[in-house]
Amino acid sequence: MATEENAFGELMGEYIVECLPLAEQIADAFIQLERRWRDGDSGAELLAATKSRLHTVKGNSAMMGLGPMQSVAHALEDVCALLEAEPTMGSDEAGSLLIRGSGLLINLVRTAAQGADPKPAAQFVKLVQSFLKRCRANEGKSKRPDLLLERRRSERRTPEEALESSDVASAVVRVDFRKLDAMLEVLGEGMIEQAAVAEVYRALTRKTRPTAELADLDRAILALQKTMKRLEGILMETRLLPVSTVFGRFPRLVRDLAQANRKRVQVVTSGEDIPLDKAVLDRISEPLVHLLTNAVVHGIESREQRARAGKPAEATLELQARSESGRVIIRLSDDGAGLDESRIRAKAQALNLDLRSTEPGQLQSLIFLPGFSTAEEVSSLAGRGVGLHVVANTVHELGGTIEVESRPGHGVSFTLSLPLTLAILRSLIVEVDRERYAVPLSHVAATVRTEPDSIHQIHGKGVVLWRGDPIHVSDGGALLETGAHATTSRRFYVVISMGNRRRGILVDRLIGHQDIVVKSLDPALGRPTFVSGTTILGDGKVACILDTLGILEQRMSA
Amino acid sequence: MSAARGRAGAEDLLQFADELQRLSASTEAALPAPELHLVTFSLDGEEYAVPIGQVREVIRVAEITRVPQAREHVRGVTNLRGRILAVVEIRTRMGLTPAEITPRSRIVVVGVHERMLGILVDGVSQVVRIPANTVAPAPEEVLSSGADYITGVARRDSRLIILLDLEKLLLLPN
Repeated sequence: MATEENAFGELMGEYIVECLPLAEQIADAFIQLERRWRDGDSGAELLAATKSRLHTVKGNSAMMGLGPMQSVAHALEDVCALLEAEPTMGSDEAGSLLIRGSGLLINLVRTAAQGADPKPAAQFVKLVQSFLKRCRANEGKSKRPDLLLERRRSERRTPEEALESSDVASAVVRVDFRKLDAMLEVLGEGMIEQAAVAEVYRALTRKTRPTAELADLDRAILALQKTMKRLEGILMETRLLPVSTVFGRFPRLVRDLAQANRKRVQVVTSGEDIPLDKAVLDRISEPLVHLLTNAVVHGIESREQRARAGKPAEATLELQARSESGRVIIRLSDDGAGLDESRIRAKAQALNLDLRSTEPGQLQSLIFLPGFSTAEEVSSLAGRGVGLHVVANTVHELGGTIEVESRPGHGVSFTLSLPLTLAILRSLIVEVDRERYAVPLSHVAATVRTEPDSIHQIHGKGVVLWRGDPIHVSDGGALLETGAHATTSRRFYVVISMGNRRRGILVDRLIGHQDIVVKSLDPALGRPTFVSGTTILGDGKVACILDTLGILEQRMSA
Repeated sequence: MSAARGRAGAEDLLQFADELQRLSASTEAALPAPELHLVTFSLDGEEYAVPIGQVREVIRVAEITRVPQAREHVRGVTNLRGRILAVVEIRTRMGLTPAEITPRSRIVVVGVHERMLGILVDGVSQVVRIPANTVAPAPEEVLSSGADYITGVARRDSRLIILLDLEKLLLLPN
């Protein structure tokens, strides 16, 4: 075995680097597939994509003479092919078989260098063969897919859910999620139109004297607004799924990872029943996997180190979800070694970052900057793995925030604050040089009227005392390149904040709060740093949504 | 607001449809020679054309919202019946000065690679059919000056129509 390892060492490394992510993608796809089935979708395109990945793994394994991996990939391919041809075979058994197989594949690929144990692979192949045989025997016998899927759903329920649902089961229908998206889109248009009506009403009241009809109109508009809000609430509720749909797979993932790294890690989850928009859930899963992987591989010390530090041999990963004023907070903490600040500092200096004004808390958040997250550099440097800036980007794209807190010797915790939903954003509408912008309200700390002489110039930068602290205020016109001449006469500034970062932006007018429907940026527009999306305002005109995080981070990179 | 714009759009569409019908009626008995079916518009007095298959509609210019730090040659975004349409300033892409919006200005809505984009043009467009054999390649000197988005030049009576390759012209990022 050892000589083989030497002979094939380099090739083997390449094989693992190429196939491990594929195997992980395959496992993720199967978990997603299970969820799709539960939603009544056959997951055809997912199957097709997974099949081609399996094919690649199979081919590479064959090339390396790794029989067990090859046969497991082949067996999984067969199951996928069957499910493609016969979507109704998508059962609980098929699902757990696929997930089991993909878990096995990950293990085999990960430990490929140590030589593969053929036994579990052979067992799995046998299981698949008997499953395929039974399916072929059943083929043609009309099994209603709905029944199968229905059974899956009920099996998945926790006892109290099942109790509760026994009453409402007959009132439950399955709906294609895209229909909910379409409904939301239409609701959004309705909200824009309602804002348009309100705008016309305001114009009318300025022109004419109050009449009974106008008062009626006012009441009708208010009633309409309330109804729309209720509709929004109900629709949002239908889009919510408990975070357990994502958390559920983590214990297995962590167990596998810990085993591979010869560590013992227990996962403690709480708040699994906290609901979150499915669209957010779908996108947050990958960043969480990233953070968990980092925690197990890099954050948690080896058994020997833990013993020396007097820590229990079994490490604890805490995964916690809770609701907080319309947002969902997900917190992931480990009890590992914590971030190594001296290394972060060294890295920051290597990147020529100015650290003089950086407080300890801010120093830690440097790990989210792109330069800190290339694979080799970080795992050897800050003790954290790949792609933290990718994680931060995804969270930011979702309109969320991520913060890190590290206690040397006691562990690291990441706190993600996520919006309940992606589609509708509570915003403050402001005007700068006759252009209107929407500022996400979740990042607005305050709006302040500019007092004469309240803005000081320090080294050419505007600084204002806000709640006793000096913060930088920049001119909205200059920031957004409106092309108008610099002016000192802006009447307000908006303080945007995230964590301990704050910044003021001078604007001409505060137009008001509005729930806006977010429309994503067309890639043809390029990648503006300060704009995260667009929306249509009440008068039918388009306004850009300010990327508050991009603006706050500009200082960091500058 | 959007209702007025909707009507204006509809007028243009109707004109467009009439033109189409007229053309198809007149060509039914015409020659079987291969023809190009194009939508033309003007920029700085020159006439340009793109294949009609890539044109979704032609709309009047409503307010275009500037997007800070957008890519070069992007004019901004506009509301197309509840959809956000990115509007490309092809004048600067073609080495001309930025457009001034006049009552004659139009946005040609095109579909390239399943994507919808608006092109801001100076003048009212029309639909023409021209025999393929009247198209000549653009002079080498023009093409080598960076104008590789020109696929050819067509004669029509005494006019010249410059044929454009939208994909090359718009340089869409992936």
